[in-house]
Amino acid sequence: MKKTINITAALASATCALLHPYASANDMLEGWKVDTSLMYYGETDRVTAVETVIAGQKDFGDERLFTGKIVIDTLTGASATGAVAQLTAQTVSRPSGQGSYTVNAGETPLDNTFKDTRVQVDGQWTQPWSDVSRITTGLHLSTEHDYYSLGFNGSYAHDFYNKNTTLSGGLAYSYDVIKPEGGLPVPFSTKTASTGYSEDYDDDGYIEEDGDDNYANDERSGSSDNKSTIDVLFGLTQVINRRMLMQFNLGVSQINGYSTDPYKVLSIVNDQGLTQSLVYENRPDSRIKTFAFWQTKYALDFGVADFSYRFATDDWKVDSHTFDSRLRINLSDSSYLQPHFRYYNQSAAEFFQPFLMEGQALPEFATADYRLGEMTAYTLGLKYGMELDNGDELSFRLEYYQQSPKNAGFTEPGTLKDVDLYPSVKAVIAQVNYRF
Amino acid sequence: MEIGLTNNEQAAFTMQHKSDHYCGRFYAMASPCELLIDTQDEKLAKQLTSIAQAEVIRIEKKFSRYRTDNLLHQINHSQGQSVIIDDETYRLLQFANTCFELSDGMFDLSSGVLRKAWNFNGSDQLPSPELVSSLLPRVGWQRLRFTSNELIMPADMELDFGGIGKEYAVDCVAKLCNQLAPKLSVVVNFGGDIQVTCPRKKDQSWHIGIESLQGEDLTAQLLHIKAGGLATSGDARRFLLKNGKRYSHILNPNTGYPVEDAPRSVTVAASHCIQAGLLATLALLQGPEAEQFLQNQNVQFWCYR
Repeated sequence: MKKTINITAALASATCALLHPYASANDMLEGWKVDTSLMYYGETDRVTAVETVIAGQKDFGDERLFTGKIVIDTLTGASATGAVAQLTAQTVSRPSGQGSYTVNAGETPLDNTFKDTRVQVDGQWTQPWSDVSRITTGLHLSTEHDYYSLGFNGSYAHDFYNKNTTLSGGLAYSYDVIKPEGGLPVPFSTKTASTGYSEDYDDDGYIEEDGDDNYANDERSGSSDNKSTIDVLFGLTQVINRRMLMQFNLGVSQINGYSTDPYKVLSIVNDQGLTQSLVYENRPDSRIKTFAFWQTKYALDFGVADFSYRFATDDWKVDSHTFDSRLRINLSDSSYLQPHFRYYNQSAAEFFQPFLMEGQALPEFATADYRLGEMTAYTLGLKYGMELDNGDELSFRLEYYQQSPKNAGFTEPGTLKDVDLYPSVKAVIAQVNYRF
Repeated sequence: MEIGLTNNEQAAFTMQHKSDHYCGRFYAMASPCELLIDTQDEKLAKQLTSIAQAEVIRIEKKFSRYRTDNLLHQINHSQGQSVIIDDETYRLLQFANTCFELSDGMFDLSSGVLRKAWNFNGSDQLPSPELVSSLLPRVGWQRLRFTSNELIMPADMELDFGGIGKEYAVDCVAKLCNQLAPKLSVVVNFGGDIQVTCPRKKDQSWHIGIESLQGEDLTAQLLHIKAGGLATSGDARRFLLKNGKRYSHILNPNTGYPVEDAPRSVTVAASHCIQAGLLATLALLQGPEAEQFLQNQNVQFWCYR
């Protein structure tokens, strides 16, 4: 007999034929773990998003895994344009330059035609590289009506000391194409706007007008541009003891290319604080971001405590700190409750300005996008999950999110003192998740 | 499949609530059968145990060589005529065929006829060499002819699925449990042949006692198992002892005699119970080289001599 020959592979395939007949057809569906979720995100008076996620994982045996994900996002509602509120109503043209609408006195101008659907597809393959290491490769695709992204990534993980320590390194590249409606605006070119009072606005504070006459004033510099991102990531996962696990990550991203938001503007105000005109913003075409992340998970008798801190900094001078904590409380063998608290704080980009002053030289770069300004945000949430009799999992999540932009030291001229330049954004997040 | 069924085929199972799981027990295939179920849901535990019991009884009925009303009896009394077989039987024959080829003829489901000479009852009654050599021509898997729907076996031969039956039943029951409760960890343990369907919820190990021989003593060894199959083969109870020489119940189908210098007991871990069982049996057939054989298979094993 073939003493020296390894017969396990032949035996394994014979076993498979014995126990799993007709495998070819059934096995394609069997062995898939599917995770579906539906999420609602609603900001007061602003953006509403509905996100559907279908993720599937198939185990091909021998630790070879395929993970696929499809995400469909639908965004509707209004988002801040960057223009400042005024004591009188103001008329603002649409992002595309086609049409205009009126903003109530004292209110932050929002672009109310914000509506988009994003479709994202991800695929990832993981397999062992040796007894103690694995490689993962992935592909990413996403498309919106004005934004396309294609990316790929690869990573390597190596276990040490009986899998108590895992070191990993990864590289990702993505290429994005931005094709704004109406073309790319010329930086600091004037976007048509007029101040004045309009009588016939509706309950929402907006009124639609035929604004074709405004269109010709907008300057456009082309129809599309692109951006590339390279991410480098290092990770260390360490089992501290039977109950505690720690993870450290370090990452660097280099972004090159069009980083301006083509729909955002800045108000040019005079020394009484009155808007004279709106100009398109401009951001540097390169950005280098660095982050460090530390996470600890601790198994308690009744659940799991999870705490993480993330520090990020970049050459736009946006520094941020994120504290995130979750506590899983097992209510029974098959159900749990998980409170969630997250605190976020960031400093303003060095070229952030809530407005520009009339008569002063234009800076090289400027944005009034509150997302690049100084702000704090927090999230409070609760999740309830349960395992059903058939082994499937169902969970519900409800969270409250508040973003509070802050003045990073700018003095407001004249009437701008009387309007809220830094309104808070409040949102509710509701999610249902089903795993089978 | 060592002992036929009594009239008490549908004997009830027992159900015990342990600290963090349920344990269902029944007796079949001449072995104590046990299911450890990682749940607090008694109804589900009862349902799984009942399904397991029905499946074991089904397999035992179909393939036991002690019955006169089943397919195996039909095959063993076919007098060289073609017998219609079903898909499950075909798959078992295919599997046995692969094992026959992989073992260079050492694993042979037609070798059961040698039991007419050997009775491993712990006594010193060795058969006469004439009897053994008269039976040898009746052993020979290669003389079988089968397709996916019929089998032709020479009249003087006998088939016996005993070498893989219990392990097959373990895997079938594990598969049913996995279909009914896909993420529930269930230990299927039929007299030491074991399959764990999937890891437990909190990823702990199951602690399972395995009977093994240490010197002359039968001891229970505690194994920690998270998932996969485990099987033990050995001569704990079935052997002959004459002039200080121990004759293991593992017969070499080429000589008609027990394999010499085989370990007393071999336990193997593999992804499926039937694989583990086969590797354990094939290791015993290697006699003195059992450990070397298992090392070459890259599997976890425990050998006792």
